[in-house]
Amino acid sequence: MRLHEDPAAFEAFYRRHVDAVMRFVVRRVSDPHLAADLTADIFLAALDSAHTYVPGRGNETAWLYGIARNVVSARHRQAAREARATGRLAGRRLMDDDDLARMEERIDAERQMRNALKAMDSLPEGERAVLELVAIDQLTVGEAAQALGIRQVTARVRLHRARRALERLASPSAVYLEGQA
Amino acid sequence: MSNFEDRLLSALKEEITTRKAEHMMTTVTPAPGRSRRRVVGLSAAVAGVAAAATAAVLAGGLLGGPAYAVTRGADGKVSVEINTFTDPEGLEVALGDAGIRAVVDYLPPGQTCEKPRGEPAGDTAGRFAARIGAGKGGKTLTFTIEDGQVGADHTLVLTVSKSKEGDDKAPTALDLSVVKGTVSPCRAVPLPAPTGDGTTKGQDEGPGFDTSTEQPGQGPTLDSKTG
Repeated sequence: MRLHEDPAAFEAFYRRHVDAVMRFVVRRVSDPHLAADLTADIFLAALDSAHTYVPGRGNETAWLYGIARNVVSARHRQAAREARATGRLAGRRLMDDDDLARMEERIDAERQMRNALKAMDSLPEGERAVLELVAIDQLTVGEAAQALGIRQVTARVRLHRARRALERLASPSAVYLEGQA
Repeated sequence: MSNFEDRLLSALKEEITTRKAEHMMTTVTPAPGRSRRRVVGLSAAVAGVAAAATAAVLAGGLLGGPAYAVTRGADGKVSVEINTFTDPEGLEVALGDAGIRAVVDYLPPGQTCEKPRGEPAGDTAGRFAARIGAGKGGKTLTFTIEDGQVGADHTLVLTVSKSKEGDDKAPTALDLSVVKGTVSPCRAVPLPAPTGDGTTKGQDEGPGFDTSTEQPGQGPTLDSKTG
């Protein structure tokens, strides 16, 4: 992919995914400014990694979600700067009042998903990662596997284990997740 | 109508263009004849700018010359030269490429970032020197970072209050420090009035510098010379 070299190709890519990326972000953070920063960070990271995407070998969405996950979890570990040593574009500076209000609406709309994610906190990281992408972000198991850089069969096993573990917890959100998947 | 998504797209496309330009301009050896720079009263920490310059990155408007140049010498020293206080993100990228994590904020005249921005790096950061007054018109800001001075978990924080006269003029204030761990985003606050404590002030009408580094004695040394 020549995303990082061709502004027109990048624009098409951006328009295809910006909505999904913002949704991905607001399912994980509830601060609108941070959400704007992360959205910018994810696309910057995509530019950084554009050379790693081989069209035809896996799908674009899965590739981008893999990047998005890394960016967001890096931020959660407060190691965002290491993760993106090559660039910084403060998304929050691009927001006006209307954007802020729209971002807050997005955040409100995903409250249930954030709660569901919280319910997965007790799962082992590997299992949680698969369940998160499948149940919360609606990726297929194949896409989730690609995003996480694991084999599809591994993803299936982890997903199965994660669901079983959540069933045992039998919390309302676990039931909800089961319904989604 | 423009919104966040549109503005982000524009910024990202600009980023693509900048990166392409930087890519084309790598490996530039600094021009000779810089000996006209006189350095007044610099501390011993001032590094002789590495003679063997490698992979200098120049960026900026083509008309006004590069906004900044970051040069990593064979000895691991990183020299930074800022001619125009524009494109802070680009400078961060260039520093990042030279192995130095940096947060750069250029603020309008009379403003600075609220402090502290994070935990001071302490004595591991050592000292480094900055000077203003080199280059054409005596307005260039230069500083050198010794190898390992800004460690893996450190961030160089450069805050500049721009001159009323323009982006390419000597700034009214600057602050250079090293922070350990996370750096908080810049919250613009009015620049404190000069305290007149004699911190490395220029001889005549030179700019005033805020050299406080959130931990006295540990921060960078500033030296000013008005061109």
